[in-house]
Amino acid sequence: MDPTMGNPMVPMTAQIPVPVAQPIPLPVLTRDSYNSQSLGRSLNGNVKQARVLMVGAGGIGCELLKNLVLTGFGEVHVVDLDTIDLSNLNRQFLFRHEHIKKSKALVAKEAAQKFNPAVKIVAHHANIKDAQFNIEWFSSFRIVFNALDNLEARRHVNKMCLAADVPLIESGTTGFNGQVQVIKKGVTACYDCAPKETPKSFPVCTIRSTPSQPIHCIVWGKSYLLNEIFGASEDESAFDHSVDGDNAQEIEELKRESAALRKIRNSVGTEEFAQMLFEKVFKTDIERLRSMEDMWKTRKPPEPLNYKDLLEKAKSLDKEKVLKDAQKVWSLEENLVVFNDSLERLSKRVLESKNAGQESIITFDKDDEDTLDFVAASANIRSAVFGIDRKSKFDIKQMAGNIIPAIATTNAIVAGLCVLEAFKVLKGHYEQAKEVFLTPFANARMLASDKSREPNPDCPVCGVYQTRVFVDLEKATLNDLVEHLIKTDLGYGEKDFAISNEVGILYDPDETDNLEKKLSELGIKSDSFLTITDEDDEEPFVNVVIAIQEAKEPLGDKPVKGILDPEDVKIPLKPKKQPQPELVATPAPTNGNSTSNGQNGGVIDLDGDEPMATPAKSLKRGHPEDAEGPSVKKIKANDKAADDDIVFIEDSAGAIVIDDD
Amino acid sequence: MTEIVMDQTPPLLQGPSEKERKYDRQLRLWAASGQAALESANILLVNSGAGTVGVETLKNLILPGIGRFVIHDNALVDEADLGVNFFLDDGCYGKPRAQCLASLLGELNPEVEGDWSPKTKNDSLGSLLKKSPLFTAIMYTYPINHVELESLEQYSKEHKTPLIAIHSTGFYSYFTVRPPGTFPIVDTHPDETATTDLRLLNPWPELVEFAKNMTKDIDGLDNFEHGHLPYVVILLHYLDQWKATHNGAYPSNYKEKTEFRQLVRDAARTDNPEGGEENFDEAAAAVLKTVAPFSLPSGLKEVFEYEHKDPIQERSMFWIIADAVKVFYTKHGSLPLPGNVPDMKAQSKVYVQLQNIYKTKARKDAAEVLQTAQAIAGAGREVDPAEVDLFCKNAAFVKLINVEDGGDATPLGSKERLQQVLRAEMANDQVAEMTLQPMSLFPIYLALRGLAYCGNASADKTQIVEAVKSLLSDDLSSEEYGDLKEKMDNVAEDLARAEYGELHNISALTGGMVAQEMIKIITKQYIPIDNTCVFDGIKSRTQVFRV
Repeated sequence: MDPTMGNPMVPMTAQIPVPVAQPIPLPVLTRDSYNSQSLGRSLNGNVKQARVLMVGAGGIGCELLKNLVLTGFGEVHVVDLDTIDLSNLNRQFLFRHEHIKKSKALVAKEAAQKFNPAVKIVAHHANIKDAQFNIEWFSSFRIVFNALDNLEARRHVNKMCLAADVPLIESGTTGFNGQVQVIKKGVTACYDCAPKETPKSFPVCTIRSTPSQPIHCIVWGKSYLLNEIFGASEDESAFDHSVDGDNAQEIEELKRESAALRKIRNSVGTEEFAQMLFEKVFKTDIERLRSMEDMWKTRKPPEPLNYKDLLEKAKSLDKEKVLKDAQKVWSLEENLVVFNDSLERLSKRVLESKNAGQESIITFDKDDEDTLDFVAASANIRSAVFGIDRKSKFDIKQMAGNIIPAIATTNAIVAGLCVLEAFKVLKGHYEQAKEVFLTPFANARMLASDKSREPNPDCPVCGVYQTRVFVDLEKATLNDLVEHLIKTDLGYGEKDFAISNEVGILYDPDETDNLEKKLSELGIKSDSFLTITDEDDEEPFVNVVIAIQEAKEPLGDKPVKGILDPEDVKIPLKPKKQPQPELVATPAPTNGNSTSNGQNGGVIDLDGDEPMATPAKSLKRGHPEDAEGPSVKKIKANDKAADDDIVFIEDSAGAIVIDDD
Repeated sequence: MTEIVMDQTPPLLQGPSEKERKYDRQLRLWAASGQAALESANILLVNSGAGTVGVETLKNLILPGIGRFVIHDNALVDEADLGVNFFLDDGCYGKPRAQCLASLLGELNPEVEGDWSPKTKNDSLGSLLKKSPLFTAIMYTYPINHVELESLEQYSKEHKTPLIAIHSTGFYSYFTVRPPGTFPIVDTHPDETATTDLRLLNPWPELVEFAKNMTKDIDGLDNFEHGHLPYVVILLHYLDQWKATHNGAYPSNYKEKTEFRQLVRDAARTDNPEGGEENFDEAAAAVLKTVAPFSLPSGLKEVFEYEHKDPIQERSMFWIIADAVKVFYTKHGSLPLPGNVPDMKAQSKVYVQLQNIYKTKARKDAAEVLQTAQAIAGAGREVDPAEVDLFCKNAAFVKLINVEDGGDATPLGSKERLQQVLRAEMANDQVAEMTLQPMSLFPIYLALRGLAYCGNASADKTQIVEAVKSLLSDDLSSEEYGDLKEKMDNVAEDLARAEYGELHNISALTGGMVAQEMIKIITKQYIPIDNTCVFDGIKSRTQVFRV
């Protein structure tokens, strides 16, 4: 090498004596020379032997897989349910145009494999919640990496890793923001130790009868109108029609309205369909609403529209030109053009699948132009009816599609941080593990790291004692569990306790009917979880979660067998209630740009005026330099929402929550 | 010379809507204007050493769609490259690294044009710079040789091209962003709630009249009308009332503001079915934030007081508009009105009227600034009204980067500057334990500089430390440095062990950070770092210095 190499910050005229090194022959470089030099032989060896799982092959996943492969991790399993979309290509660099609609997991494996033949990559194009990915399977990994984009899947992996006692490295990004956290059972806080923000919610009557903001009309177009006309068979259970004094009459009316709308559904594809639908929802229904004088005492009443008049005015418009301009706020007439055109496109799809003998169900997808056009146009027409501002298609896409901005750079930073935390996990140095946040608007540092939080003793997920039991599912009864495991091995003795699962209480001192039933009759399978709640008032055990495992070999005389020797079972006592619980800010689930369970359950910034989702942080660790502080206001809002009845309407592109007041 | 190196041509995107869909997730951050700037960017990477960090940076620029890139790299691909660089495969062994990288990186985005150099023995960086279309920004990685570095610095000076230096070795890295001279940013993307400017303490006649009209018989309004007075109107009304009883003065300190807030709260009607009024709640909540006298924001103050050293820079559009805004400020004592009105409880019709009053004033202010700017620019130079509008909307948040400090401060890039920063950092370290601050990362930066200075992969700990001493002309043993020697030894030892090798993961992470800053520079949106960011991969920490 050239010993005279200079440095830009030193003026070349400054003649500083340069220490000249004797040229020494370089050692022969091999593929992992650099890794072995810098990581040290022991860590490098650990890395090579590690078998790791990566859940999600999206934005963070692509980066992370590359880093894992080049860091030399021995075996990497990749699980992702999603397929590749055009809008992924601006950052998910393992994918190309020709891969659109193919499995993310499989294509990512193909692309990454050739760069390090020594690493074994196993791809699963599947939902991480599938039964095949059981606790035993999770426990076969040294580390699990979450590179997900939704709350539900994150929570599931968190729970499985706690049950299998495998360290989890959790990460997420939103635009320029991102975060990484290490989760190790009993050592650091788990994903659910801090409450998570729930999606924003709207009262049913606001959506259906008294909208006042653009988002109300967008939710109406997406979750009501599109669903009723093209969606899955009407999902009665999704709406809570529970009646209280104030809204009883209106809820009844709304039911009748929906029923009438569903009738129109049969006319999909006929020539009159557009007019029928338009007159139903923008004239008849509006006239009925308008007639309810009480409703409009303090509000501006809606104005019904006349289809024929509007169509006449829209005649001269150039459809292609209108459709092309997604950034412009369309006029009422332009919206009618898009409404009719998208309706025609959607109807055609319905007829085609009907002719092919298939049931046709169209659900909203922000990247499906037909559904997006339909929702944008119907939302805007409804806005016009109610005197609300209209929005451009571009904006409606973001609001309806729960779009979280996502870029390559943020993902690169976060994925790099994940691997650095993985090194600490491999060395067992949990005390050095960090919770790292990107602080993109604090220009003095860009990253902020904190010591990992300690587990929250009141956490419903990890503040419990977890154990596993092998069970002969053919024979074992609930009583077998009580007598041969809970009272004996787990040491409950004569304590009062209750057993419950996600359905409800299976057993307590007053509810003994189920004792003689077989576990299989109670719907308990391998990898089911049961929770034991100690009902003693004094010195109760923490809740115990038992993971049921199907016995692979005969268990002998008893049909149940705990995984631990009774002497090793040490269930802690419930912590005494602190007078002042620690104040923890709501962490916003962020976005890994990949979907492993087919749903986008992340935070929905529905009205677009909330600040960007802030990474999880607790108030006592506020960062003075941060442009965005912890969002205290949001906690309040959530508490309020939690008191109300909440109805979920789920669809492919996000959970919109409607709370029924 | 514009030979495209892609050996396959995937389909180009059909029409604007398909491109919009592909870039959808980033358009939401920097909009069409930012995207257009990216798409016209021509980026040069001068790659050397282990060669990963520059490539990872470039990848993060090609994905979002820069227009064109060129890689200059003198190396041939060896076995170690294959282990650390994702964009090289077994087939590349022994070939020119620039060629292989350009080809594999080009595949990431068929809309980006890629080229490489040197292609023949006679090609050099100097000849590349001469014959290439103008570069938008240039990045180089250490250990770059000094001949090449000098030609880059020359080019940067001549063409006003931003230079970005990147160094990644082992667990450590840093990068330095050097825009050519003072770099102004108008589109800083402030938090939307911060941009609200309601002008409650210096309302203009149209707004005063509108508010007066609505509140002239405030007690005679029926409950519906009273409950739908926009909070702007409520506040203007009660501010008038306050002034009447306070010698014409507005509430000025915290105590007075809370008193005023109580006045507003007490004015809400409670004898209605709701037992209160949402619009009055909104008004009370807005008091502390919106009832505040105007003061010139620090960023803009710096712009107004800036002394030009470069006559060409002075004639740039930013400075012409800035001067026009200064004229406006001097004349009116306020900035052009941004014109946005936050959502508030009001009758739709009234809210729209209110919006129009603000918008009309904003347009009038912008027109005045445009006229002044046009006069400053002189005949033959067209001032873009859109640029003026953007400036007026963001005036309070305009920011200058890479400003040379005046007075006693040592110039950026000098040895004295290094010494100055080092002294300040080490002084902080002495009290770090007491203030619960983490230790400075400056020794890492110095050690990396020392390593680059040695320019030798087999430099040992002692040589690196000696090089740092030469750089600083200082023996590091001064008492005020505390245990700097020990810190320096530790970092130097880590670096020596790495033998100038890169860890892919550290370089990938650094590449993410560098690309992020380059996107800010190219799009002139968001505020880039000023000017050096050091990353410690052992502690997962960064620190930013001005050196």
